[in-house]
Amino acid sequence: MGLIHWLLAAALTAHSAQCASTSMRSFENTNVQRTIELGGSLTHVTTTFAIKALGELGPNVYTLALSELDEEKTALMDVKLKGSKETLKLEKFGFNQKSNAYLYSVELPPMAEDATATIVVNSILSHASTPFPESIKQADPQLLKFSTEAYILSPYRTLSERTKIRAPSPKVTSFSAPAELSKYAGTTADSVATRSGAVITYGPFQDLPPTTGLPFQRENQKLLTVHYEYDSPIISVVSLDRSAEISHWGDNLNIQDSVHIRNDGPQLKGHFSRLELQQSRYFNKPSTQVLTHLTLQLPAGIHKPYYYDSIGNVTTSRYRQTPKPKSNTKRSSAASSFMEIRPRYPLLGGWNYTYTLGWDAPLGDSATFDKKTGKYVVGVPFMTPVPGAAVDQATFTFVLPEGAENVHVEPPFPVDAMSKYTHITYLDTIGRPAVVLRSSSLTDQHTGMVYVTYTVPVKAHLAKPLTVSTAMFGFFLLAMLFRRVDMRIGTAKTAKKH
Amino acid sequence: MASYSSLQSLHESLPPFSPLIPTSLIPIIAWSLLLSSFGLGFYFTTLPKQSVPVTELLIAIVASILGGFGTVAMFCTVGVYL
Repeated sequence: MGLIHWLLAAALTAHSAQCASTSMRSFENTNVQRTIELGGSLTHVTTTFAIKALGELGPNVYTLALSELDEEKTALMDVKLKGSKETLKLEKFGFNQKSNAYLYSVELPPMAEDATATIVVNSILSHASTPFPESIKQADPQLLKFSTEAYILSPYRTLSERTKIRAPSPKVTSFSAPAELSKYAGTTADSVATRSGAVITYGPFQDLPPTTGLPFQRENQKLLTVHYEYDSPIISVVSLDRSAEISHWGDNLNIQDSVHIRNDGPQLKGHFSRLELQQSRYFNKPSTQVLTHLTLQLPAGIHKPYYYDSIGNVTTSRYRQTPKPKSNTKRSSAASSFMEIRPRYPLLGGWNYTYTLGWDAPLGDSATFDKKTGKYVVGVPFMTPVPGAAVDQATFTFVLPEGAENVHVEPPFPVDAMSKYTHITYLDTIGRPAVVLRSSSLTDQHTGMVYVTYTVPVKAHLAKPLTVSTAMFGFFLLAMLFRRVDMRIGTAKTAKKH
Repeated sequence: MASYSSLQSLHESLPPFSPLIPTSLIPIIAWSLLLSSFGLGFYFTTLPKQSVPVTELLIAIVASILGGFGTVAMFCTVGVYL
């Protein structure tokens, strides 16, 4: 009964009108498996729900619940049926008071009574692991702490569930094993948590009631903490501004990224010793917390990449170009150019670095033209990912040719804001239309293409050369005028008088 | 997002963009147009003065148009893609 009351309450507080009118379908979780892959600034959580539909037919909407801890850190979440490549439609309902959780609804294909299905929820958390201790010396190992709820949040009854936390290496300093978890574990308090190598398993927990709702959470919910060592520098991108500029006359697409990166590891205690850094490299015991280089995969077939920062050009970079494959049938080619950039100085915990990286590419690689409608369709990736880095703020600016009309932008994922402005650059008269997309809390998986369509009338193409011609003609007219006008102060006659 | 996937398939099926003037010809066009424009400009300065300046205007127009296209091509040659 309580479940139905809760479901009605959830339906009433939902924003969508659909849910408010029809009755909700109830489900039961027969088995839930959560696997958490620990990392640096990004954490992968895969939760597999084996569900059974109860009761009569109704709208096949399954509700997922996220705790406050997870909600603020979730940067990417998608739901699929096991074995299928298509993502299911996910709708956000926000915070629900009665469940004390953030609710999401998933639209499932029609299910008969007592039918079963398996849903896989894939989510990426950003900045979920925090450095602990918060400051270390240069040569010390870096340790991170990760916390999550012991029981998986779900508004439905769960018959069996298990949580597996996988650390990046077997070097796990400690992990919590609260004795209270034995209530649902069905075993002794000693074996609530088991560890084998890098994997820590909590559970299995049997016969759990709906874990949402303040009473259950206050009484039973516990926080699990894993303290582990992380062997690579923790990179996070504080802000990323990408600007793509199209030139039809030059057959060129220029992409420029202004990036602000930060090492999100523990702060440095004491002074930075370059001698110690060089010695550690010489003796082949490099400090794992120091960020010395970034490896980026740039598109194939680009030319003239440039890399500079506020001081000037940065020469510490390696670039290996991959030519664009000859066949143009498959536009998304797997080949990519390799670019390794070294910041001007090594980044220790808490240190920042800003740089600008850009390149030119032939416009034909990204743009297509429809002769019938006169429409140009351009696709540019939203960002070049820094592997394993969480992106806090990202901006994408598309600068179109002068005089472009019927501009339509399709981002690969919902963005926070979209705005237009007029960009003025060389030899512009009316300025170029530019579209700005803003988004926050992204991951290295948000690399989908942004598509823009526009049309350019023929006269807009000729605007630039004719502007320059008009200016030159103006100078010629001035020259003609000066030939005919006598600008001398005195004439030959008046000079003779004196 | 139906419109996104339809735009994606449209983008993959259409022929790629090809410029009006092939990229390899641009430097040649730039230099030749600009040099001829300057040459004509010099010739303009040697023209005699007429009451109705027909020749001067004609030369000025031709030199301006050649110079206009030459400047745009020259910008593209040096790497400032307009």
